[in-house]
Amino acid sequence: MAACTVYTTQSLHSTCSISTPSKTHLGFNQKKQILFYNSGKRVTNRGIAAVPYVIRCSGDTVVIGLAADSGCGKSTFMRRLTSVFGGAAEPPKGGNPDSNTLISDTTTVICLDDYHSLDRTGRKEKGVTALDPRANNFDLMYEQVKALKEGKAVEKPIYNHVTGLLDPPELTKPPKILVIEGLHPMFDQRVRDLLDFSIYLDISNEVKFAWKIQRDMAERGHSLESIKASIEARKPDFEAYIDPQKQYADAVIEVLPTQLIPGDNEGKILRVRLIMKEGVKYFSPVYLFDEGSTISWIPCGRKLSCSYPGIKFTYGPETYFGHEVSVLEMDGQFDRLDELIYVESHLSNLSTKFYGEVTQQMLKHAEFPGSNNGTGLFQTIVGLKIRELYEHIIASKAAAPLEATKA
Amino acid sequence: MASSSTIALLNLSSPFSSRPILSPSTIASLGVATRRREKKPSLATVKASGGGGGGGGGGAKYKGTQMRERLLREMIEEKVAEAKEACEGEGEAAAASAECRVAWDEVEEVSQAKAHLRLKLEVLRQDPLESFCGDNPETDECHVYDDDDE
Repeated sequence: MAACTVYTTQSLHSTCSISTPSKTHLGFNQKKQILFYNSGKRVTNRGIAAVPYVIRCSGDTVVIGLAADSGCGKSTFMRRLTSVFGGAAEPPKGGNPDSNTLISDTTTVICLDDYHSLDRTGRKEKGVTALDPRANNFDLMYEQVKALKEGKAVEKPIYNHVTGLLDPPELTKPPKILVIEGLHPMFDQRVRDLLDFSIYLDISNEVKFAWKIQRDMAERGHSLESIKASIEARKPDFEAYIDPQKQYADAVIEVLPTQLIPGDNEGKILRVRLIMKEGVKYFSPVYLFDEGSTISWIPCGRKLSCSYPGIKFTYGPETYFGHEVSVLEMDGQFDRLDELIYVESHLSNLSTKFYGEVTQQMLKHAEFPGSNNGTGLFQTIVGLKIRELYEHIIASKAAAPLEATKA
Repeated sequence: MASSSTIALLNLSSPFSSRPILSPSTIASLGVATRRREKKPSLATVKASGGGGGGGGGGAKYKGTQMRERLLREMIEEKVAEAKEACEGEGEAAAASAECRVAWDEVEEVSQAKAHLRLKLEVLRQDPLESFCGDNPETDECHVYDDDDE
């Protein structure tokens, strides 16, 4: 059954076609529907009169899942991601100022905390943390993500992190790219099956501790002990419910303390590993020099001078939870623009559209944390990979009807 | 993939080529561990510092946001105290109890909310009430402090 919503947009031409439901590599039935349209001109396409707006078809929305334990204010990752597509992601205008949603021209980022079934008081009464699946409404999450993916707008609840209450819902329209961010994007199998790509941000305990110290020590109420106690108390639920999701992720960004400085525990220099699953449709892992081989590379030397402790890259195939993966790892920090350019010029399969695009994106957000190390670099690269994945998916949907007509 | 040695698209004479990518002044404003403890802002302090009007100083622009900052700060203190109490008791059992875990989870939630707000104000330079106050400038929450006040 064709279901299309009409939006007025200035931009693109998009074509899709009607075809019978087919199984994608992801293993679920995807109904493709279509209409053809073009803005402005009186073009007739198969005898249908042209209209001055674009009709968005069901099944156009690409859904990305991001698992992270730092609240929906993982603003920096989101902003890097949305910036790759162009435009800045802003909270919705005119709505609830405590909304967790971010919207840009192409992307909408939803915070999964909005699907809490229990508010702060409710969780206290039941004795469950926010990490516990019992505090979350997976049925609603599945229904609404599915609806958005099919091109339907939804009234999404808002969880207010300041008051700890569930606020009245906000109207959320289906975007081109929907990112669902939070603690449980891959927990429920049905939701997992809706994801076109998934990322897990895996912060090691030492780095988590160092970051929380940086984050919370300036607050009057906190002390080293309280920060430590908070991490320890959340650990059991985290390990039981959140951590196991990483086996399902297409890409994992693992953040560890550096190995370049023996005994360093400040968490300032980071060793970051980008673990990329092999065999994911439309996702080609980044590599160094020679795909599939094992490389260790220190770019600093005669051509490039770096300050202490320098930079070290490794790349190679590994196994991760029984899957074949390729891992690109960066340990150390960038100090100067030319280090970044030099590194970019030696990486392959970056999915950039022009030489220097990674560097340019990193510079755009130079003030964000992680801009000088692997976290910023790999977040940016993942953003480019998602862009490529999105373009392939859209292109394949457009191509399918042409095939049908040839028959 | 064409690898060209000329970087036509980037301006290498830009100031970044010799400056660190993440400049020290930005690191300082993100509040690293060495930062002094914040004093509770009073109207006097707010006035003296010019109220951070326009968000240029990286602080809250509207009264509603300042109130929210203060509220979150107080909640952190309260909830840390509650958590310590909830976890009091003999050893492992108390620490593993649901009350204890839930209490520290609340601390984490409120700490995250505060940090998120700080990031928005100081790095992104956006006041969350910007859009609301654009439409409703006369409300109390949207009062902007500046030097001519009081």
